[in-house]
Amino acid sequence: MAMFGWLQKLRRRRLDDDDFQEEIRAHLAIAAEERMAEGADPETARYAALKEFGNPLLTTEDARRVWTPWWLDALHDLLGDVRYAIRTLARSPGFSLTVVAVLTVGVALNASVFTMLKSIALSPIAGVDRSARLAVIFAERSTGRAVPVSYPDYRSLRDHLGAFTDLSGSSVAKVNLGRGRGARQIWAELVTGNYFRVLGVGAQRGRTLLPSDEVAPGGHPVVVISDGLWRRDFGADAGIVGRTVEINNHALTVVGVADAAFHGTTVVYDVEAFVPVMMAPVLGFTFGSQHTTASGVLSDRAAALFYPEGFLRPGATLAGAAAQADALWATLARDRPLADAAERLRVVRFWQTPSGAPTYLLPTLSVLSAMGLLVLMIACANIAGLVLVRGVSRRGDLAVRLALGATRTRIVRLLIVENLVLAVPAAVLGVLLAQHALPLLVAQAEAMAAPERVFFNIELDALILGFAVAVACGSALLFGFVPALQSARVDLVSVINEDASPRGASRGRMRGGLVVAQVAVSLLLLVGSGLVTRSLDAARRAYPGFDARQVTAVAMDVRQNGYDEPRGRAFYGKLLDAARAGTGVESATLAASLPMALLDTRAQRVEMEGYQPRRGEDLAFMSNTVGPDYFRTLRIPLLAGREFEDRDGQGADPVVVVNATLAGRFWGGAANAVGKRVRVGSRWRTVVGVAADLKYSRIDEPPRGYFYLPFLQSYRSSMVLHTRGAGPVPALVEQARGAVAAADAELPILYAKPMLQTTRGGLILLDLMAVMLFVFGVAGMALAALGTYGLVSYVVRQGTHEIGIRMALGATGRSVIRHYLGRGLRLGAAGAALGVIGALAVGQLLRGVLYGTSATDAVSFARALAIVLAGVGLASVIPARRAARTNPLTALRHQ
Amino acid sequence: MTLHSTRPDARTDLLHGTLDMLILRTLQWGPQHGYAIAQTIRAQSEDVLQVEAGSLYPALQRLARKRWVTARWGQTEANQRAKFYRLTAEGKKQLLREESRWTELVDAITRVMKPAAAPGTKE
Repeated sequence: MAMFGWLQKLRRRRLDDDDFQEEIRAHLAIAAEERMAEGADPETARYAALKEFGNPLLTTEDARRVWTPWWLDALHDLLGDVRYAIRTLARSPGFSLTVVAVLTVGVALNASVFTMLKSIALSPIAGVDRSARLAVIFAERSTGRAVPVSYPDYRSLRDHLGAFTDLSGSSVAKVNLGRGRGARQIWAELVTGNYFRVLGVGAQRGRTLLPSDEVAPGGHPVVVISDGLWRRDFGADAGIVGRTVEINNHALTVVGVADAAFHGTTVVYDVEAFVPVMMAPVLGFTFGSQHTTASGVLSDRAAALFYPEGFLRPGATLAGAAAQADALWATLARDRPLADAAERLRVVRFWQTPSGAPTYLLPTLSVLSAMGLLVLMIACANIAGLVLVRGVSRRGDLAVRLALGATRTRIVRLLIVENLVLAVPAAVLGVLLAQHALPLLVAQAEAMAAPERVFFNIELDALILGFAVAVACGSALLFGFVPALQSARVDLVSVINEDASPRGASRGRMRGGLVVAQVAVSLLLLVGSGLVTRSLDAARRAYPGFDARQVTAVAMDVRQNGYDEPRGRAFYGKLLDAARAGTGVESATLAASLPMALLDTRAQRVEMEGYQPRRGEDLAFMSNTVGPDYFRTLRIPLLAGREFEDRDGQGADPVVVVNATLAGRFWGGAANAVGKRVRVGSRWRTVVGVAADLKYSRIDEPPRGYFYLPFLQSYRSSMVLHTRGAGPVPALVEQARGAVAAADAELPILYAKPMLQTTRGGLILLDLMAVMLFVFGVAGMALAALGTYGLVSYVVRQGTHEIGIRMALGATGRSVIRHYLGRGLRLGAAGAALGVIGALAVGQLLRGVLYGTSATDAVSFARALAIVLAGVGLASVIPARRAARTNPLTALRHQ
Repeated sequence: MTLHSTRPDARTDLLHGTLDMLILRTLQWGPQHGYAIAQTIRAQSEDVLQVEAGSLYPALQRLARKRWVTARWGQTEANQRAKFYRLTAEGKKQLLREESRWTELVDAITRVMKPAAAPGTKE
């Protein structure tokens, strides 16, 4: 209503046009009458009156302007400019479309990277407002290794840290969903009662978990499921609340379905179930505690559980929170001393969560962002070149406008509007392109990660749109405006003496400069992407220390069929026998975990016989529980001693196999290690063998200590069967699957695939980055080639006249081509030299993410140089040849 | 009537302000139509100030917008249709303000142009 009234007022307070025209007519009539009274004839009188009046149209315009508010006036002018700009740009569709296309590519690439950056750093948790502001607490050992906080410590922190409004915790774990053949593994989070409240996540059906779900250990058999699980496994059943699901063989009642946008707080993982932390011990999670009772695990300060997280109170700082946490930590250490406690607590932002996906992804993403910027720079140089070239043909138009009295500000404004008219569609198209390309990329990542579910938050939002518009307008203005300004500085003389003007020469220099800049930047980009692709190649080819070819991996958890330890041992014994008996099977073994699975497994504290640890020395190492023949099956060399055998059973002496790094660190070498004793948990074990190091989690990890326990002396319900054979791997996998079915036809198989596929987990992210980098490299190269070609060929075309004179004076076509090729290559060489210097500097920055490739890798540099110079050469030769083939007379008459 | 100033908007302000003042002053003797206003200013300034229609009519709109004048169609003495402008009470007050400001300005300019005791100044 208010709006309508305001409009009415606007309408009323406007010039009454008809009335004003009538007033002008009256004025003219009176003036004419007066002249006729002085004796003029009617015709002359009317003409004189008209002449005296001046321009009625302009007067009306001025009068109208009196009534219009300034902003309406400005808007009107702007619309006029936009209309004019569109008309002008439509007259040279080639130019306009090229600029829009170039900008679109630049925007699309940058928007993609920004979307990923946003999903990891700016709003890492989908469905949670301001998730980047979440603060995370972790304990840190003197070695700098981060350790999760135990449940009792979390309780103290939650109750005493004033800097946080509230503190929640969640621990991600793989759980079995269902029982029997239909069972599968999903990601679940064990969460505190206030988890949903702290994050501000609601339930679309039923309720979320509440503090009342965190009272009695083992006493809350409830679960909140994700929207995805609800739709996929329950067909979006409206009566889901109250149904039960089996998780790790326990029936849990579904109390609610979380908001659709929420996928848990573990970035990249698609978490499908949220279980009260009180249920952790019942469901089989002990977090390294020696206690076995439900209440014992949750009261054990040594059971590392999770990284507590929450929002800081308004006004509170990370440093303040850290100080509070440290004080509290000291009190805890005094009141409830713990051997081997972490030294201190740290408080960081969510994206710095130790071992979180952001930690892995951010370095690579920053490289991608840098490359995105380079591509944008090339796009900008392209636009600058185009505008410059076009500026020549527009000089006439601009000179006429200046001569007609347009101010320079007016012309500059017009040029700005022209650039914006190009930038806005480019921004929109770029975002659309990114929005269509990213899901493809994510789908590829999902396919690679299957059957595990991953989730990337790539939703389009205002932030991304704003970013794209800012990028597009910024580059269009900056790089389109400067050359435009140069075009605006035209004077009539230079328009008349087209090419003789000194300004023409300076424009030539600017064109040359642009070629040099473009060559330099594209060389930088090519070297960068070359280095990274070669490093990925090296990573993929690198030997991880074991041979996964011709090896299968079939995972199962006998607890899913309710086996206890004696029955489980019997089952695995039978399974190994069946697998070994398979035709074509060379060897078969069992392992608790697979190497190269990206994430570290829990480290376990050990004690070395005869080694006095320094105060606060970190003696926790990762380990694997493996069956007999493990090292033979995976072809891991043994440097000393023997591997586990069937005789290392329950009754025999406790044994352990250590890796070369561990042996070297404590006993000065593999040979001395055999026979030494190591205490793991409560038992002393004798070292019977030393195995070569492997890459345990990721290909780019440094060597680290590691040890192996024999399966027969350290039972686990969940194991992976490995078989090695000479035949085709898919057949081997089916054979291994058959062996499991022979041992228990009802036991669900969690996965069965070639081991090569499972170890690719450690490479998924690298692969993803490789795809993006490839796209960046190609796009950057294409843009650079386009831009360089356009500029160089323009220079050559401008010289058609000169070519004509040269040919008329007897030059051969060949010498003309040589002349232009030389000129192009000189520019190219200058650009390449600059590019090499830049690439050497950028290489130093890349060092952190490169694997097995030097930052000054000659192959990458040579390849990039060859591509760039070939591009420049082609761009010079092709138009020069065309020019040389023209008849000298035509060329001369061209002017 | 061209007063130059470095700031273009200041110049037009001064110009507009002065023209507005002249129009208001003309209307003090009673309602008049546009042509008559221009003629009056011209006659009173002994042909020095020639107000063009292109400036006059936008100025009248400006004054109407500020509600210093009101307009109504009527008949001239020669029985021709014309739009007559009449000074409002607010317009009269404005005229007084403009006059005193004008006097101040002229005095100031006079003091600069004809210094009473400044021998040796170049012309």
